[in-house]
Amino acid sequence: MGVRTLRDVTVEAMGLSKRYGEHTAVANVSFTAHPGEIVGLLGRNGAGKTTTVRLLTTVLAPTSGDFRVAGMPSSRAREIRQRVGVLPESAGFPGQQTGFEYLRYFGRLYGSSAADAAHTAERLLTEVGLTERAGAAISTYSRGMRQRLGIARALVNDPVVVFLDEPTLGLDPAGQRQVLRLVRDIAEHRGATVVLSTHTLPEVEEVCTSVLLLDEGTVLHAGPVSELLRMAAPPRSGQLRVPVSLATRAAEALARVDGLTVTASDERPDLLRVSLDGESRRRDDGLNGALAALVAAEVPVLSFELEGGRLGDVFLALTGRSDE
Amino acid sequence: MSRAGGSSGWRTVASQELRDLWLGGRGPLLLFAFSILLSAVTYLAATNQVLNFLEQREAVNLALQVAIAVGVLVTLVLSADAISGERERGTLESMLLIPVPRRAMVAGKLVAALSLWIATFVVTVPYVWVLGRAVNIVGTALLVGGLVGTLLAVALAEVGVLISTVSGSNKVSLSVSLLLLLALFAPTQLPGGPPQGWFGDILSRLNPVASGLRYVAAVVVNGHDWTRDLSYLISPLVTAVVAGVVLVTGAERLVRLSGGVSAG
Repeated sequence: MGVRTLRDVTVEAMGLSKRYGEHTAVANVSFTAHPGEIVGLLGRNGAGKTTTVRLLTTVLAPTSGDFRVAGMPSSRAREIRQRVGVLPESAGFPGQQTGFEYLRYFGRLYGSSAADAAHTAERLLTEVGLTERAGAAISTYSRGMRQRLGIARALVNDPVVVFLDEPTLGLDPAGQRQVLRLVRDIAEHRGATVVLSTHTLPEVEEVCTSVLLLDEGTVLHAGPVSELLRMAAPPRSGQLRVPVSLATRAAEALARVDGLTVTASDERPDLLRVSLDGESRRRDDGLNGALAALVAAEVPVLSFELEGGRLGDVFLALTGRSDE
Repeated sequence: MSRAGGSSGWRTVASQELRDLWLGGRGPLLLFAFSILLSAVTYLAATNQVLNFLEQREAVNLALQVAIAVGVLVTLVLSADAISGERERGTLESMLLIPVPRRAMVAGKLVAALSLWIATFVVTVPYVWVLGRAVNIVGTALLVGGLVGTLLAVALAEVGVLISTVSGSNKVSLSVSLLLLLALFAPTQLPGGPPQGWFGDILSRLNPVASGLRYVAAVVVNGHDWTRDLSYLISPLVTAVVAGVVLVTGAERLVRLSGGVSAG
């Protein structure tokens, strides 16, 4: 990666605050983002994610602070709107319009000719996998299809920065996968900066390059996801699944490992929970010893899932609350 | 990609709103209902009159008044839904994010709302012709009715949009707009006619609907020259101009994500 300059900065928030009377929705938020970066705005409901997105997209005016988006200062709201794409939280859609009509309309609103807008609409519908439903009324679309249509709408102006506010909210796992794949494509293939607002930790881990952790309107942490992950302690427990017929042999093999506690489940004898003792000497190699013991005892491991040590733990530690 | 300016932005919004209104089915349905109402009124007016000069003029006036009342009503209702309706359906934020000035967005929506009045008036034309051809006032009646109706439709559509921008919900916007329309139309429907005397005259002249309809009656029923009672058009004109100026100059501040007066 080359050296980044100030010119590369696509989003720059400088002490942004938004107050509604006595209530502070966002307080002193500062961060920068660059082309091709996916910035996760992470926080619980009411943390200030949506307000931050609305401030940066000029829908709301900040009480104090300033920002630049896509090279434009906050005072040039129309130019910013021309250069950003946004999928608002819980965006509504005109049910009577077709997906194609909807995208063509927004293309026209961004100044494209009728022919160009139609061409862009067709291309984007293909990109988001809605070609077959292009002529169907939006009222017949599933929630996942609407979200993908919303993402397509956010791309009609070929934006420099794309803001997606909870794009996977209410989607089934397959829908979430599709949306996250699109998010990654936007950053990788278009080179756009994506600001992804979410309260789902795995999403941030999966697609984001950096994260802004918000809580009650303030930034708890800002930086690369890897940096945040380093703050998490290594995993200290995990769950193993072994063949039922070999569960006893597996438990015996694990019990012989120094510094390891094994717990078997009465209801599911094939599941064994292993955890490191408080001051275990095995801290450095973590739970690898458990796997080595099973291999030595010739017990096949059907699955092994580590517990903890992920972004969720950091979130928990920094906010002092439980993961949602 | 070229930049979307106010000049083309309002046309794009207007054409989409017109498509939604007329191809989506709402417009034709309202027009069909209006046609039935006007047919009933015309039938009653035509069958109950003796063929004397004054009553035919009154029948024409009645048809125009119904057209103006219904045309203004549907225009106002559509305008009152313009912003608060989008807000409630969750589509406003996407519109606020486009690089089109908000006054252009409002203008586009107003054009669509006014198309309902134009359609209502077009439907009224044959009815006025049937009722007024014998007394030779069809041209005058259509000219005066069209002028006053357009003035009132513009004025109340703008007021409707203003109410819609500041209303916390669509229900509030529609209720306040309908209440306003009722208050404006009520004096014209009093059993003894509009309030008399100097105070009644001032009240009528302040009320854009009452004064507008009075002007129509003065020309169509009383046969006054169209220039004689022009002062009755001051209040509809002032309402249209003031509301228009407020919308043009204040749209950027008024059209917001949240309704109410103090939200930011």
